[in-house]
Amino acid sequence: MPLVKLSFDKSVSVMRCKHPLQFSILTALLATVLMSSHLGAQSALYSIVVESPTMASGETMSREYTPDGRNLSPPLTWANLPEGTREIAVICADFGAGNPPPWVHWIIYGIPATAPGLPEGLPIQPGQVMPDDIAGAIQGHNGWRRPYYRGPAPPLGTPHLYHFTVYALDEELGLGPRLTREDLLEAMAGHIIGRGELVPVYERFGSPE
Amino acid sequence: MAGDRTKSKEQTAGMTRRELLRSAGVSVAVGASTLGVVTSYAKTAQQSGNSAGSEEAYEQLTTEEGQLLEVIADHLIPSDDSGPGALDAKAVRYIDRALGGVLSDSLEAYRAGLAAFQRYCRSSRGGDFMELPHNDRISALIDVETGAATGAGAGFVGSSAAFFSMVRGHVLQGMFGDPYYGGNENFVGWDLIGYPGVRTAVTENDQRRLEAGELRPYRRSAYGWEEFEKATVSAARKGLRHAD
Amino acid sequence: MPTRLPGTDVVIVGLGAAGGVAALPLAESGLSVVGLEAGSRLTRKDFAPDEIRNNVRAWPFTVQKAQREIPTVRPNRLTPSTQGTIHPMMNGVGGTSLHYWAQSWRLNPWDFKVVSEIRRRYGVSKIPEGSTVEDWPFGYEELEPYYDRVEREIGVSGQAGNVNGTIDRRGNPFEGARSDAYPMEPLRWTGFIEQMADAAQNLGWDPFPGPAAVNTRTYQNRSSCMYHGFCNRGGCHVDAKNSTAVTTIPRAEATGNLQVVSHAHVTTIDVDRNGRVTGVTYLQGGEEFFQPTKFVLLASYTYENVRLLLRSTSRSYPIGLSNNHAQVGRHYFSHHQGASVSALFPFDLNSWYGLPAQGVAVDNWADDNFDHADLDFVGGGNLWVYSDRRPIGAAGMNTFGLVPNWGSAWKAFIAENSDRSNTSYIQKTTLPYESNYLDLDPVVKDPFGHPVIRITAEYKENELAVAEFMQEKMEQWYREAGATEIVRGGLGRTMGVSTHAYGGTRMGDNAETNVVNRFGVSHEVPNLGIAGASVMGTSGARNPTLTAQALSWRTAQHIVDQWSTLAD
Repeated sequence: MPLVKLSFDKSVSVMRCKHPLQFSILTALLATVLMSSHLGAQSALYSIVVESPTMASGETMSREYTPDGRNLSPPLTWANLPEGTREIAVICADFGAGNPPPWVHWIIYGIPATAPGLPEGLPIQPGQVMPDDIAGAIQGHNGWRRPYYRGPAPPLGTPHLYHFTVYALDEELGLGPRLTREDLLEAMAGHIIGRGELVPVYERFGSPE
Repeated sequence: MAGDRTKSKEQTAGMTRRELLRSAGVSVAVGASTLGVVTSYAKTAQQSGNSAGSEEAYEQLTTEEGQLLEVIADHLIPSDDSGPGALDAKAVRYIDRALGGVLSDSLEAYRAGLAAFQRYCRSSRGGDFMELPHNDRISALIDVETGAATGAGAGFVGSSAAFFSMVRGHVLQGMFGDPYYGGNENFVGWDLIGYPGVRTAVTENDQRRLEAGELRPYRRSAYGWEEFEKATVSAARKGLRHAD
Repeated sequence: MPTRLPGTDVVIVGLGAAGGVAALPLAESGLSVVGLEAGSRLTRKDFAPDEIRNNVRAWPFTVQKAQREIPTVRPNRLTPSTQGTIHPMMNGVGGTSLHYWAQSWRLNPWDFKVVSEIRRRYGVSKIPEGSTVEDWPFGYEELEPYYDRVEREIGVSGQAGNVNGTIDRRGNPFEGARSDAYPMEPLRWTGFIEQMADAAQNLGWDPFPGPAAVNTRTYQNRSSCMYHGFCNRGGCHVDAKNSTAVTTIPRAEATGNLQVVSHAHVTTIDVDRNGRVTGVTYLQGGEEFFQPTKFVLLASYTYENVRLLLRSTSRSYPIGLSNNHAQVGRHYFSHHQGASVSALFPFDLNSWYGLPAQGVAVDNWADDNFDHADLDFVGGGNLWVYSDRRPIGAAGMNTFGLVPNWGSAWKAFIAENSDRSNTSYIQKTTLPYESNYLDLDPVVKDPFGHPVIRITAEYKENELAVAEFMQEKMEQWYREAGATEIVRGGLGRTMGVSTHAYGGTRMGDNAETNVVNRFGVSHEVPNLGIAGASVMGTSGARNPTLTAQALSWRTAQHIVDQWSTLAD
């Protein structure tokens, strides 16, 4: 049976169990706890556990992941990938924006299945390479047609939800650069064997000038 | 950020504005394999001739505004392995002159925009633009470009995207326009993109040589020909001897 | 009280492309003509090869009268209107023909008979819903001698495709039969244009060089084109671009019968109790003048033609001069010339010099040159690829999503690709519709307190379908020639202020649906004529200018021939 890793980087804690029965009870409890960190109802397909050392579903994300701060891409971790996962993709989208919605803030695909997640602050300039853990990953075109993360900038006074959706694919799709969300969804069709999401919130305050 | 060797806040505190400007002009060359790696200019910082280091004062912008605009221009069109950039071309001299004439309606937008830009850098990234590490400077500029740099603390008149677009457009004009207007110094802009120069006649032979890669650039302003009326417009009214 | 000037036979309001042409036959006939032009006279020394002045600051039009009366625009009645920021036309002796692209096309025969031809081939139901399109009151054959005359008078260079029924495949096999070859050979081609022509042939199409009002040899003692690359929104420094300012107007002045009055801003056309025009009132240097005349030829471009008529109310014409049937402003449209396609090639195109009129055209997808039976639209477009590039424009090139718009990667990209992109020009069939029209804006006024024009117009389903179809064809053409990246512009919606504006004073036999008769004389006002694209009822897939000029010559000829009846 697989080990269950909660996160990577500094706050890694690994659960090990000596006895299979203990393990089964523990994983059942854990699964319940983890599943409750998702927003809304749970579908069988949303089995991947998506978390972050610095964000949680339903909670306001740090301004450092927005243009009110340094606008770094946030760190993500995932667990409970289905067996047979060969590749991972992530899309960050706001379904309350865009014409038509959603407005895409980030799209990154070609992530190796061995990657435990995405570290904070991925590149924003051409010519900069991805960290070794996610070597080969490609950032596609977000709503601004840019190949990097740009965080929430909602209109003042209205909170928005930001869906960081992780997709597990049964094949290495060998995708090229500059794909949009539409392109990626089309390419992934028929290959998605697991999904999960983390949905933090963000709101901007203050007087517009 | 691993590999970022640009200066920390402590290191910049003791520098003069001039030194700060030169070091802030460092940019990442294409193909650099790690974040923030510093590469050399095509020329030394001394030779790159940004206005803050030269004897020319600004005509419309304050020294502080001019220097900030120089640094921004340097990020839009850097001096690097692919050739000279906006500072070499004296693009900000073009803008400054134009702000005294044809673009005088935009002077307020520059004043307000540059001030808002600094406020935004401080509130979002913790320091003036020139004090930030390279990656944060790029990130801040991107947010101004997309219009995300709004909200409390920034206060752009209209969208920050409009300010960015205005600056970028004027920097392009200052880099690639006829040198008569104060930019494209020594034709560095035209040479960068391979423009073979203004000519009043292009024969079939000239075109053939162009297509064979044999046409040498003809470096001359349109007003190098005496026969054309010059576009001095408002500059002449103010007793200045250059175009605007 | 305006100063009353000595009378004249004819007043031409506006000395642009159309008015400037009419001046010649009128003056040559011995009639005394006063040409009132709101702009000034410019000469070749005003036309430095300066991209900042011409293209960035648009100086040809920024100091003009037209900039103070920019129309407001809205797509339809339900949307509030907004005022444009620039008026693309120019006031000047020669008008916009001073700096226009100088493409000089004839319409194709189909353009004169759109309704009957669609009925014949596809049935009446294929005429787009809501369109008020009519057949012209005459066919191409009627206008042919005037096309021929104007081409010779101003100097048009090109390659004929059909001379008296004999097809010459070096030219356009679809064109209407010409009585003669062009006065001058076409503009030369660059290597890239030849490449595109070859690609078109590989696709089984019929490429040909486009016609231009630009000299390709010394003509009428004026120089041949210098191909220096500043023709786009620039005046010509050697008078090789054949604006009316260097062709018909000076020749008309040489007869001694044309008096050019510049800086004359016409405010109203005045009529007597019997509904006949008596003269025009204009402002010049802060003073007001009344120019009495026996005949007025209104040629101030589409928007101003309509505006002057609507503003000139009187007891005989309570809702505007010549507007008793409420047709002034109706059947308006502007050419669908947007929705362009751009391409990036993996090699230099050597386009730093040249002019927009220097290029290769394909008419295989224009008009009704292909079967529309299985298509859901009528009409088509002209595909045009040309050689034209200047440094600031090149530096600001589309990056095709490959790099950001600034920074090191961008700079390296433009250093390599500045001469590798091309944007095509696609002019498409555009029709008039009931819901597209011009009127006076109820709120926005010019500095004199006079309302500006309000444009209420949008492209309809037919036009958008044509646009999308043409983008497909253009992409196909670019890829056949080796393009590696393609970008398409949006299909468009609102018809903004345009240099290709048609209708508003449409020409036709039916006085209830048209403002002027088949000779360009008002149905209602016996001594008022109108010239310019405002009389045209269909656009075709090409520029209006030569057609407006041919019609203008024909109108002037008619005025001369019928002088005794018209002037009394």
